[in-house]
Amino acid sequence: MSEAEGDRLHQALLAVWADPRGWRALSAVSHGRIGRRFLLTGGAFFLIDGLLAMLMRAQLARPEQALLDHRVYNQLFTLHGTLMMFLFAVPILEGLAFYLIPKMLGARDLLFPRLSAFGYWCYLFGGLILLASLPLGLAPDGGWFMYTPLSGAAHSPGPGADVWLVGTTLVEISSLAGGIELTVSILRGRAPGMSLDRMPLFAWYILVTGLMIVFGFPPLILAGVLLELERAAGFAFFDPARGGDPLLWQHLFWLFGHPEVYIIFLPAAGIVSTLLPVFAGRPLVGYRWAVLAAIGTGFLSFGLWVHHMFTVGIPLLAQAFFSAASMLVAVPTGIQVFAWLATLWTGRPRFAVPMLWLAGFLAIFVAGGLTGVMLALVPFDWQAHDSHFVVAHLHYVLVGGMFFPLVAGLYYWLPHFSGRMPSERLGRWGFWLTFGGFNATFLVMHWTGLLGMPRRVYTYPAGLGWDGPNLISSLGSFVMAMGVAMLLLDLGLHFRFGRRAPANPWRADTLEWATALPPAAYNFASLPACATRHPLWENPALAQGIAAGRHGLAAADHGRRETWGSEPLSGRVREIVQLPGNSWLPLGAALALAALCLALLAGAYGLAGAAALASLAILLRWSWVNGAHPLAAPDARTEPGDPPLHWRTFDGPGLWGMGLSLLADGSLFFSLIFAWFYLWAVAPNWQPPARSPLPALALLLDGLLLGGIVLGFRRLVARLRRRDCRHLEARLWGLAAAGLLQALGLAWILRRTPLAPGAGAHDALVAAIFGYLLLHCALGPLLTALQAWRVRLGLVGERAPYEPAVLDRWWSYCLLAFAIGYSALVLLPAGWAADR
Amino acid sequence: MPPPALLLAGCQGPQSALAPAGPAAQAAAWLWWGMLGWFALVWAAVLGLWLYALVRRPPDCDEARAKRLGRRWIVAGGLLLPGFSILALLVFGIPQGLRMLPLLREGEAPLRIEVIGHQWWWEVSYPESGVVTANRLALPVGRPVDLELTSVDVIHSFWVPSLAGKLDMLPGRRLTLRLVAERAGVYRGQCAEFCGAQHARMALSVEALAPEEFERWQAARRVAPPVPAEHAAAVAAFRPYCGQCHRVAGISPGGRGPDLTDVGSRPSLGAGTLAMGEGAMRRWLDEHQRLKPHNGMPRHDALPAGTLDAIAAWLESLRP
Repeated sequence: MSEAEGDRLHQALLAVWADPRGWRALSAVSHGRIGRRFLLTGGAFFLIDGLLAMLMRAQLARPEQALLDHRVYNQLFTLHGTLMMFLFAVPILEGLAFYLIPKMLGARDLLFPRLSAFGYWCYLFGGLILLASLPLGLAPDGGWFMYTPLSGAAHSPGPGADVWLVGTTLVEISSLAGGIELTVSILRGRAPGMSLDRMPLFAWYILVTGLMIVFGFPPLILAGVLLELERAAGFAFFDPARGGDPLLWQHLFWLFGHPEVYIIFLPAAGIVSTLLPVFAGRPLVGYRWAVLAAIGTGFLSFGLWVHHMFTVGIPLLAQAFFSAASMLVAVPTGIQVFAWLATLWTGRPRFAVPMLWLAGFLAIFVAGGLTGVMLALVPFDWQAHDSHFVVAHLHYVLVGGMFFPLVAGLYYWLPHFSGRMPSERLGRWGFWLTFGGFNATFLVMHWTGLLGMPRRVYTYPAGLGWDGPNLISSLGSFVMAMGVAMLLLDLGLHFRFGRRAPANPWRADTLEWATALPPAAYNFASLPACATRHPLWENPALAQGIAAGRHGLAAADHGRRETWGSEPLSGRVREIVQLPGNSWLPLGAALALAALCLALLAGAYGLAGAAALASLAILLRWSWVNGAHPLAAPDARTEPGDPPLHWRTFDGPGLWGMGLSLLADGSLFFSLIFAWFYLWAVAPNWQPPARSPLPALALLLDGLLLGGIVLGFRRLVARLRRRDCRHLEARLWGLAAAGLLQALGLAWILRRTPLAPGAGAHDALVAAIFGYLLLHCALGPLLTALQAWRVRLGLVGERAPYEPAVLDRWWSYCLLAFAIGYSALVLLPAGWAADR
Repeated sequence: MPPPALLLAGCQGPQSALAPAGPAAQAAAWLWWGMLGWFALVWAAVLGLWLYALVRRPPDCDEARAKRLGRRWIVAGGLLLPGFSILALLVFGIPQGLRMLPLLREGEAPLRIEVIGHQWWWEVSYPESGVVTANRLALPVGRPVDLELTSVDVIHSFWVPSLAGKLDMLPGRRLTLRLVAERAGVYRGQCAEFCGAQHARMALSVEALAPEEFERWQAARRVAPPVPAEHAAAVAAFRPYCGQCHRVAGISPGGRGPDLTDVGSRPSLGAGTLAMGEGAMRRWLDEHQRLKPHNGMPRHDALPAGTLDAIAAWLESLRP
């Protein structure tokens, strides 16, 4: 292709892909733009939260200081943890992943661009709700893990706890959206020939992280919903006097909370595994080991949560199990550390500012990991738990294990964002001040904790030996703040004064360096095949070929955004994934959800109902503008010989998105059923009624009707696969009607069941499980009816058969949930009663 | 190996887990020093390898050799080293944990004490002798004590680092923590689970007394002494006004606030907020909401200063 043709291609691609400017930029959905937004917003929250931490350290510098009163201090430490964990750590890493993953995989975008945009807006609005609470005097003050009964209505009567619950739930929805987005994009959106074991390591880490988010966030979403129901409507879930249990909150929270910290660590470890080989000049030693270690960490992390609860009186056998499991996680971590060490040892390491931060990471993170193993030993934990020793440990693993690699990554990928190189001198100052300040703050804090200082105290008396250590920690925190300021200065100045970056300035091996610096919105003018782990080392001239349009999908005159859709294991191209362009729907949906949250907080339930309906309407519109819809596919022509557009096949990103969403949904439902069994088994005052209030027969019949619908839907999809579309629309209407009947039946049964959720946890849980099933069974007929309408409009049918297969999964899930719910609610109590 | 004397000095403190005065705390401290020693070595070795790898001039390394070295290092450092360390920790640690449990034992039955957590004070009662007190715990040296812990409101946590690890105090549940004090002395405990506004001001004074002294301590509190004549007016004012919340043996039923039967002999007021001393009681009655905001006691502006003086004087005299 000549240069003129290359330019034409570039212009054509820009016309389709460019992010809008001005206020229209709010409708941007491309991954680069969204990723950068996450990075900037996360950075802003980090800095604000750092100031909150400085205030706390100032208060604790001397004993019996009255700089901040207890009210403010308790809000500060609550917000510090909440902002750092929910508004900085996960979102900023998700943002970096959004930015990098398509580029590393040789794709033009993530597979659900509107979903990541929606995730950003939910994150921003949830974060603003949480942040605004502080100056408004409505901040939560129950600690970032909000233990009940303290966070219940009786002991935290103000709006603070509700702000926390509502704000974090909105942010969790954002993170969940990101997890689904990244997982599907990594599994189905790779370069041709990029099989799973040739994927860049970073993509493996993000894949594991995405799946962990899918399974790990829903328990907290459930816990938040239950606690809000308890606070606002008096449902008894966590109140021991009414058959609930405060420990249920702890289990649900830590079921999320422990995977959360590995969700934070793994992407950072991915950064280390990406940078180290580049600066050592050789591939990572033990690629497969590292992959297995990441997967192992992901699995193990779901079996450790009780180590946060060693002091609540759990039986010793259980404690010993969780103790051993918690120590075992040192194995995959150790595998990664030694893989990194071996890479450095067998390579030729060269100096660069990112390497400073990686060395700092190792020193700090390994120390933190080792104190973690100490804490896993139960008799020691009985002393150190809830003391400043734990505060020291968690900062070592989080700052060392996440912040230091993040900064290393920022320096490394800086040329991507700005097209310029960072400085060396200022970079060193920033590093040493931060490293020194951090250790001055937190090393002595281990000591402070062992001298008996508990966590979360707004002051302390003199003469206990805590004065000196606290002063050192506070002074250290100021040094660390200076280091962060220097880092900011460096990053800021380099945008203006940094020298222009050459192509692939670090001589890296992964595909993101084959774009322009900074990259165009479409990443690559043509999409290369990639059958090696180190594409740019094996073919240094790849970038020129890409820009010259010598590879795949080098055309944009059809006016649509597209990228390759690949098979999940082998990476073989299966379809062309057609991607949505700029859209206002994500912002609209997030605004509606934010309005719902604010209305709930204000107690304006009518308004909340309206906002909920608006959200539903926008989300349905969103799902409507898809596939063959003219707004989504103005021009559906493909070249002969090209793979089909995804909505012409039976398997597109939407099917996977639905599958993962159902896994998340299932995790939430699993947590709900867990709560039922847990309270039944151990709640101190559990009062099951002599006879279950549920009409077992009516429920069974309703379930059988649901089973019939699922069978009917299955047959419909089977027919579609055989290209038999006779009476497709009529069948869909029929199934929708049957579904409506089933849902109404369920609602009628609920109405007829005498439940008093405010009186006891038993009834509250029955109501919650019922409500969950009702919600799901109500959505089924609605979505099916919409499908029928789409068939009528010609948007779904023989040439676009894909959407009913997606919906089929929803129905199957509803049946599964119904069956599990039925067993738990009807069969368990019946069996229990029969036993007695 | 015992830590150097200098370190020992830095470990001291009435609330220090590293100045153990009982077998449970001693075991935890030994585990700590052992783990610290071993893990400091591991950390130094890993960091040393990393730094050395950065500065050395490496020989050329072909792919096969790199793979072999990598496998060796990964197995040694990622499987064997953690595996061995974990095994050692569990082998040494689990028996220590078992020894700390309130299990059935031969010999003397443990002394039972009930400790109930309130926002933000400790209710302590001795069921066998009927003694009730608040914000202080007396126990006999050398005899195991089983503390039965619960809470009336939110989750608190009982922690006296010099004697043992902590155990949470959960509403609706009763959990047992065993303490053994091996040395007489005064130790400090503190609530270790964030319990609200004044979590920072919920300290506990623990006195380990020689067995005969402990018996005297209990006996002095078992019988309510007669009220001396000079305090009769104070008591008459106390009963209707303060007695609804505060119990004093033989005088008022109380039930909502700390028992005050031996308050004059306590080292502090407000669970460690104000040290006992000249005028402390009077000061507490006036300024308690300023010293410990939102504590459960209402302000006493309604009472005339003279009455408060008399009540304070009487309460200070309650030293069995």
